Amino acid sequence: MTSHETEKMFEIAETCVYCRCGCCKDGCPMYSELLEESISPKGRNELIRAVGKGIVEPDERTMRIAYSCLLCKRDEFSCGAEIKNADATEAFRQYLVERGMPLLPEHELLIKNIDNYGNPWGEPKSARKRWAKDFQKRRLVRGGTGTLYYVGCTFSLDRTLQESARAMASLMEASGESYGLLLDEELCCGSTIKRLGHADKYENIRAANAKVLRETGVKRIVTACSGCFKTLKQDYGDLLDGIEILHSTQYLARLVENGRLRPGQLSAKATYHDPCHLGRHAGLYDDPRSILGAIKGLQLIEMKNSRELSRCCGGGAGVKTAYPEISRKAALRRVKEAERTGAQLLVTTCPFCVQTLRAAASESGSKLEVVELSVLLLRTIARKGG
Amino acid sequence: MDAAVMEEIKSALVRELGESKVLSNRSDIVLYRKDTYRIDFDDDYRYIPDLVVLPETTEEVRAVVRIAARHKVPLIPKGGGSNRTGMLVPIHGGIVVDTIKMNKVVEVDHRNLYVTVQPGITLKDLEEHLEEHKLALNQEQGSLKVATVGGSISTSGFSRKHQKYGTIADRVMSLEVVLADGRVLRTGPKVLYTSTGYRLHQLFVGAEGTLGIITEATLRVEPLPEARGAVLAFYDDFWKANEAAQRTMASCVTFTGGEAYEAHDVSEYGAPEGKKGMFYVGLEGTAGEVEAQKSYIKKIVEQTGGILAKDDDAIDFLKLYTEQWCGARAKTHFEDVLTTYVPMEKMEEFYDRLWNGICKKYDVGPLPGERFSLDVGRYRIVAGRFYLPKGEDRWHKYQDLLREIAVLATSLGGSISSCHGVGIQHKGYLDLEYSEVALDTMRRIKRAFDPDNIMNPGKKLDA
Repeated sequence: MTSHETEKMFEIAETCVYCRCGCCKDGCPMYSELLEESISPKGRNELIRAVGKGIVEPDERTMRIAYSCLLCKRDEFSCGAEIKNADATEAFRQYLVERGMPLLPEHELLIKNIDNYGNPWGEPKSARKRWAKDFQKRRLVRGGTGTLYYVGCTFSLDRTLQESARAMASLMEASGESYGLLLDEELCCGSTIKRLGHADKYENIRAANAKVLRETGVKRIVTACSGCFKTLKQDYGDLLDGIEILHSTQYLARLVENGRLRPGQLSAKATYHDPCHLGRHAGLYDDPRSILGAIKGLQLIEMKNSRELSRCCGGGAGVKTAYPEISRKAALRRVKEAERTGAQLLVTTCPFCVQTLRAAASESGSKLEVVELSVLLLRTIARKGG
Repeated sequence: MDAAVMEEIKSALVRELGESKVLSNRSDIVLYRKDTYRIDFDDDYRYIPDLVVLPETTEEVRAVVRIAARHKVPLIPKGGGSNRTGMLVPIHGGIVVDTIKMNKVVEVDHRNLYVTVQPGITLKDLEEHLEEHKLALNQEQGSLKVATVGGSISTSGFSRKHQKYGTIADRVMSLEVVLADGRVLRTGPKVLYTSTGYRLHQLFVGAEGTLGIITEATLRVEPLPEARGAVLAFYDDFWKANEAAQRTMASCVTFTGGEAYEAHDVSEYGAPEGKKGMFYVGLEGTAGEVEAQKSYIKKIVEQTGGILAKDDDAIDFLKLYTEQWCGARAKTHFEDVLTTYVPMEKMEEFYDRLWNGICKKYDVGPLPGERFSLDVGRYRIVAGRFYLPKGEDRWHKYQDLLREIAVLATSLGGSISSCHGVGIQHKGYLDLEYSEVALDTMRRIKRAFDPDNIMNPGKKLDA
């Protein structure tokens, strides 16, 4: 952590503590569940300041507080001063890690998996291509294609989500797009380790991944994972300069707009959940909605909290591992909100949101189908074709 | 507090409330050391509570009070923590009783138009809940996302809709309060109107947690209006806008609330260049009523030389205006805000002596465009936001400045603090506003409720 980064973190905390309004608590998914000062952006900023001034000597509780944030940025839309709380919290984690604070036991396995297997799921490298049995011919040939479909660890390794990876590839096939896959040569983007504050490990992952991506010679990288998208687009600095980074929804919206993909008919009511990394972090709200709007017969009904004010699913930034019960409650709250729209489909575009919301819907006996956008879109196209 | 005693108290609290509702780690308790008041510029961590508890029921509050009473340990009741005058600062140590988890709506009575809630629900959450029932509490203030019902009652909070619906003081029908000896007081029946008994519930309005801990409140609500409207107008300066304000207040129009103020940047609402005064009025009622009132106010605007904003801009402005409270201090770096009351005929003199006399003496200035502001209606708060003294001994200069403002407001027949309470900030000069007999009566009331002075000691007035 550079002294500039540390300074920036304390500066954010100081600005917030100077004000102390607490409006950030409104809509904060973690605070809503626990209602403790420390589990709020304001509280964490206070703690950062107190640690910086030597008033609080960090201990296990300090670590728990630092890791109680979903980094969802919902709070930043309640703050008139737009204080960058998520940046401060992410930096605080890094600061504590670099001070040698012991890891939260719940995160140990996650980090060990990244160290040993190069992904958070503890799967061997070869497992990355399992989803792509029908797409082996798409192994990227250096210089041979302009677009790389970067699948990401979670879509490629979580068996329950592999249908999304296949759907996205199928849509690219259907559009006639020339694209390639890295399959088992694909590396983790480093999002998880970065959010957990392990800067050194992240730097190594970022450098290695950027090298592989640059060596492909592609002009464009498309990913359906919101976490990968945010990381490649916003956190890789100039390492990927000259390569266009697109989220699948931006890419698919283009294909729909220029007529290379023609969504079919689906008579249903749907609501859309904005993933934090796609919405508030990257400002992408319209593309997913325009794709859904192009599906004939599909009625999109917005939830009470949507777009910038969307509530986080509870699955981000290591919270699901460290605070499973709170994560579950946050997801349940979101599912209930989606149910109130009267929709049958809860559509989203992030693997973690799908995992978390699907588990909550299943647990609560909800009739909502939680579906990833590529899967839904392919469904209408396949139906039309068949 | 002796560490062994505090450990004993903590164990007792954990037995009664469970471990998760008793906070003692320094990473937690430091965060409960104050509200938005600054203790001292250079000694921000002077007071840190010994413990924090997060009860969820009246019974749990009783248990906390009994334990504290046994050991004569101070209790600091807490709501949303947005107070500006230091009500939450644990100047004698003790236990912060955060009521934020007591956030349930107990009962909505449509027919008799009241709602009963636990004290920790925020004003925003309560309004949203009531809206589903087509009702409204109509308590709108900048801090509504944070401020709780209990906190609002305890500070006698203001509402921007005060003209039509009153402030929280006018909404309170009945309270449940845990007293300093652990007994539960029900201040009166949940009836809309009674002339029996002393009006005990009003004693707790603005009591700042010094008489007991509010555990339930029954509040008057209203049906949602059929229509809402707003009039927004721009003037050359505040004093021109004030003419419209004064004429509106002298009219028979029942507006919800309004404000005349000096504006910094109003171009986004369609103001012509150079306009520095703003005047707005909110309207609610039947559609016909709102339209008629709008026309009436617009006529006043025209007659006073104002330029009307478009109706849509006026509505947008009202929505955004409330939001502006959030993050305001971080954004503009202002330090304090006046919420004085002065009689209308003295307002010009007050502002002149404030900015050109007192503030110049302390080399303190207002924020750009924040010199003049008047809440339009029956509670006429005269406000202004200012930066603080700089340089050596700035804290003491700040204290002297506040005292001089208090002397000015009271000498003109006004009040030091309309809606921010006393806390520790204004405690030292209550005698400017109240006679010794009045203060003695207040002290007797305090002693009757809290003989051991454990309820938020050192706030509001010295026992």
